[in-house]
Amino acid sequence: MTDETGPTLAPALEMRGITKRYPGVIANDGISLQVRPGEIHALLGENGAGKTTLMNVLYGLATPDEGEILLDGQPVAISGPADAIARGINMVHQHFMLVPVLSVAENILLGDETMANRIFLDRREARRRIVELGRRFGFEIDPDAKVGSLSVGWQQRVEILKALYRKARILVLDEPTAVLTPQETEEIFGVLRRLAGEGHSIVFISHKLYEVLEIADRITVIRRGRVVGERLPSATDEDDLAELMVGREVQLTVDRGVSHPAGPVLQIRGLEARDDRGQAAVRGVDLEVRAGEIFGIAGVAGNGQDELVEAIVGLRRPSAGTVSLAGQDVTGRSPRKMNEAGVAYVPADRHRFGLILSFPLADNLVLTSYYRKPYARGIVRDPKAILRDATTTIERYDIRTPAATVRASTLSGGNQQKAVVAREFDRDLELLVLDQPTRGLDVGSIEFIHRQVIAKRDAGTAVLLVSAELDEVLEMSDRIGVMFGGRIVAVLDGRTADKNEVGLLMATGGAERVAALAATSA
Amino acid sequence: MTKRSSLAPNRPGPSKVARAWEILAVPVVVTLLSLLVGAVVILGSELIVTGRKFDPFLWFTAYAALVQGAFGGTDAIVSTLVYTTPLVFGGLAVAFGFKAGLFNIGAQGQFLVGALGAVIVGVALADAPAPIAIVAATMAGIIAGGLWGFIPGFLKAVSGAHEVVSTIMLNYVAVQLLAALVSGPLKVPKSPSPVTYDVGNAAYPIVIGGTGHIGIILAIVAAGFVWWLLFRTTWGFEIRSVGANPDAARYAGMRPKLLTIATMTFSGGLAGLAGTSVLLGVTHSMTSAFGTTVGFDSIAVALLARSNPIGVVAAALLFGSMRAGAGLMQINAGIPVELVDVLQATILLFLVASPVLRRVLRLRGVQAGIAETAATNALGTEPTD
Amino acid sequence: MRIRTRGFGVLAGFALIVSACSSSATAVPIATAAPTTAPTTAASTAPAATASAAPSSAATPAPSFAQMPNLKIGVVTDIGTLDDKGYNEFSFKGAQDGAIAIGVTDPVPSIVPKDASEYAADIQQFVSQKYDVIVTVGFNLTAATVSAAHANPKIRFVGVDQSPECITPAGANDAAFACKGVPATALPNYTSLYFAEDQAGYLAGIVAAYADKGAPTPTGVIGAIGGTTLCAPCVRYIQGYGLGAKSVNPAIVVKSAYVTHDFSNAAFNDPAGGKAFAQTFIQANKPDVLFQVAGKTGNGVIEAACAANIYGIGVDVDQWLSLGAPANACIITSAEKHVESAVAQAIESIAGGTLAAGDILFNAKNDGISAADFHDKASLFGPAVTTALQTALAAMQAGTLQTCPTTGCGVYAP
Repeated sequence: MTDETGPTLAPALEMRGITKRYPGVIANDGISLQVRPGEIHALLGENGAGKTTLMNVLYGLATPDEGEILLDGQPVAISGPADAIARGINMVHQHFMLVPVLSVAENILLGDETMANRIFLDRREARRRIVELGRRFGFEIDPDAKVGSLSVGWQQRVEILKALYRKARILVLDEPTAVLTPQETEEIFGVLRRLAGEGHSIVFISHKLYEVLEIADRITVIRRGRVVGERLPSATDEDDLAELMVGREVQLTVDRGVSHPAGPVLQIRGLEARDDRGQAAVRGVDLEVRAGEIFGIAGVAGNGQDELVEAIVGLRRPSAGTVSLAGQDVTGRSPRKMNEAGVAYVPADRHRFGLILSFPLADNLVLTSYYRKPYARGIVRDPKAILRDATTTIERYDIRTPAATVRASTLSGGNQQKAVVAREFDRDLELLVLDQPTRGLDVGSIEFIHRQVIAKRDAGTAVLLVSAELDEVLEMSDRIGVMFGGRIVAVLDGRTADKNEVGLLMATGGAERVAALAATSA
Repeated sequence: MTKRSSLAPNRPGPSKVARAWEILAVPVVVTLLSLLVGAVVILGSELIVTGRKFDPFLWFTAYAALVQGAFGGTDAIVSTLVYTTPLVFGGLAVAFGFKAGLFNIGAQGQFLVGALGAVIVGVALADAPAPIAIVAATMAGIIAGGLWGFIPGFLKAVSGAHEVVSTIMLNYVAVQLLAALVSGPLKVPKSPSPVTYDVGNAAYPIVIGGTGHIGIILAIVAAGFVWWLLFRTTWGFEIRSVGANPDAARYAGMRPKLLTIATMTFSGGLAGLAGTSVLLGVTHSMTSAFGTTVGFDSIAVALLARSNPIGVVAAALLFGSMRAGAGLMQINAGIPVELVDVLQATILLFLVASPVLRRVLRLRGVQAGIAETAATNALGTEPTD
Repeated sequence: MRIRTRGFGVLAGFALIVSACSSSATAVPIATAAPTTAPTTAASTAPAATASAAPSSAATPAPSFAQMPNLKIGVVTDIGTLDDKGYNEFSFKGAQDGAIAIGVTDPVPSIVPKDASEYAADIQQFVSQKYDVIVTVGFNLTAATVSAAHANPKIRFVGVDQSPECITPAGANDAAFACKGVPATALPNYTSLYFAEDQAGYLAGIVAAYADKGAPTPTGVIGAIGGTTLCAPCVRYIQGYGLGAKSVNPAIVVKSAYVTHDFSNAAFNDPAGGKAFAQTFIQANKPDVLFQVAGKTGNGVIEAACAANIYGIGVDVDQWLSLGAPANACIITSAEKHVESAVAQAIESIAGGTLAAGDILFNAKNDGISAADFHDKASLFGPAVTTALQTALAAMQAGTLQTCPTTGCGVYAP
């Protein structure tokens, strides 16, 4: 798009031969990167490839061992985030740095260096500027709204506004779409294009190939700390990028083959559950998952999926309705009882729910079976048996780690999730419940996990897959249920479901529901 | 996206010396720093307090006396061990709670109630055969302390009442309970001041020197037992899991509430054993002045030991030796016992600042992330591996 | 001995026993005191054996004491601090005075325990260092001191406030308080010094009743705050105080309260807590005079009294002197027990080889107690006060004045 402006102008940002070593690891190995004014430059790489380190160098959080950074052709030494911001470099983190109880305006003013010289905040002026900035980039924002009450997509816009308010020229977005719905993603892309149109330079960090192809003007791919290629979107495709990124040929969409569903395993009738604040979150769900099929649940986060899953696996007591497993009523059973009944569960947030990061990998692999033989006799644990089995599991599931005794926190995200999967999959299962099983993972790990899920299905396990990534649900599911407002509003055939149709159902609850609402209000 | 990703080449494990340094660096440096602060305090107070001849080496005299009083000869060493014993039990109690993510500030109250249990049963069995009296009085102390730990554990599990608040409250209740019982039903009727009868045969036999009672051995056994419990049993695994990540523990089918109750009860039992060891091993009867700072010092011991049961023994030995040496320090150098408080307090302060220290000492683990350090080190729940 | 001699000043005009104002001259002949069997209830009602052994040495001012410059003397105080401006501090000073009097040039060290379980170990420190005389302060150390004395017959032990002595016939600590042992023979190396606090309190009560008016307060309220109900000497002070005040004015209202009912820090080591406690007390009872019997906690009581513009009465030592200005602004007198001279005399007697074993009572008969000088408050009082004090003191010396309830002297009754 902006290619013609390129060669004549000095790059807004140039990183030359950046090398950053950590004990035992070369995180960045002579990385060079040029970002031109008005360019959306995608930085593509697997988790652990060195993207974050590179951006930490840019943000002054890490000092490079070699190499230099140039802004508008001038070499600079960036001493820290405050310095970076002062030089017009701003970062929008994957996890937003916002205070939920404060208003949009207050969040934007928070920590603004330009305020340091003033005693009083000119709130009216600030609010006016915020509204104006928002309009310029295509959205109406209420500066007095509490951030906590905004949707994730809007929170992200607040982050971007915050950067713009501080007169950012170079905007770094770290995995910005990971938490967004397809519609929100489209909207944010619109904002980014406008920003670029006004001359801002954008570094877009991602590992989602189709997104990168859609938004970027130029794509730099890094692998194992090195730049392995630079591409223009027009001259590449997903397969090419994936191969660059992973270093081998990758099958992006798993061929899920044909399912051979048998009798129902999981049957849910009229299930209702409340969330942690006591509000009704699941409002009467009927659901059936059969042996040997993958039932996907699509929905915008916060429509009761989490509560539904927790009610199924025993973590949340349903307020009404029944859950039965292979014909037996298991409503309200404890997680351990469910586990012993052959239910495996991969929770959404592996850091919070799936692993104990400070524990050795081996201990994490027995987190649900530590009390059973051969890992324990009575109450006495058998470390040898635990280590022995851990070693074989690590091999079988290709968990890349120096040893079974290292802390889980030292593993990359993909390998952490492989550990959870290994733990949960490595036995005969009746039902497999997956909540966002591939969130934040690189393509290699996603491919691996998807294969494992399909293998389980083909072995006759009933699989319930919940994901906010619509593509994942569409790719994997034999049947798709769309969840909206605590209900399953539609069940579609996985082979024929259309992405736009599902997206619309996710966003509105569907025509029937709209009609039903209209009828009740009439 | 950590720096030490799976893509990193396999690094050879650090040498044994390096590993030992990793573990010991902070406690050792913290202790040395606090001794330095103590020396400055001594010099400073010499300068401020008039009427005393300035002695530039008074700090040396003081520390020499401290060391001599703690380790100079059999009596001194035995005295150190006697002081160390309740700190081991108390330190284990607090460390055990830390492992489960619980901050048992109530070790003090559990200590008192444990001693109360021991004195009640000990006096009742004062004329019974020694083995029976000793075992029964000890069990009574453990159970009484355990009960005092059970209450906050139960309250937390049932109503979410924070254990820090409820244990502090129970400390006061314990003090009053002790005073009421010792000046009331437990008081020797003819005594002018509130004091109980002697525990007679329930007193711990002396096994080392003139005052070294069997509680010393019991303390070492307890440290080993707690280590085994934490690291070699499923129960310990559950406790550590709940402490490190209660959500993940719950998702894995463990029952955090039940574990909270069990942990607080067990922790209380250990603190009760600390009180028991002082009562049956040292005082043999209880006055209404009974009460030590062991319960509070135990928190410092557990922090210094980073909640490791074996570390608790070492940290307790350090604190115990300071207490034992304080007497001779007062005799030889005229330095008030408060210097020991200064040393203990500065040790705690430096421990709080240990992330900074680790950075200065260029220890690994700094990279593990400041957030993690702040969240876990503050409570001493050092990850294990 | 400056403080003590000044303290005597107020009594000098009428005191029978004061012959000269030097420490040596006023030394009470405790050395010759016959061992007594301990009184079991009221200190002052105990047969004061010391009375019979009246001033043999006091009559002839001793020029010097037996010199024992190599005597090693150590002090173990009760939990707390050496700067309590009260009896820990002055017991220690007494040991120092005694040491100087007998020619000891080495400093007298002290150990302050951190808690009750340390008493035995702290005494043992001095035993291990081969000390000759060990002074222990406070009744909480009784059992530990008796045990140490029993185990170390060659070391001389002096206890302050540890009466009545109660030992087994073998000289060991008697946990059951059967008290069958005769101290002089069963434990000849241990002497307990104790005081008739109720007599001191009685004198203070007289002063309190006269305060402000120079005449008995017609319908006034006076107050007293004790450290803990478990401290028998504290209770005796306050019991005597009430009786003394009522002896002047039977209609006077005496309010008393105790900071705690245990031996926590609040009892004797918490000035801030004492101040807060006293403020509440003053608001509730509106006393004209407030008597503190709570060590350092009590120093906060005095602070509150001064802040509330009422009079304060100090305890144990002349606190007008020990606290100094401005903290002493409202102190009209102090109920004194002469721990400093008592300990000093005990040490001097040890050097002379004449210190008897057993309990030695210090009361009005042997200058063991007094009411302190009015100092700058003298103008408040007319001659009637002095007369009343003289009369009371004379009656105490004659053994005819009841200064403590016959039932339960030193026993707290709510």
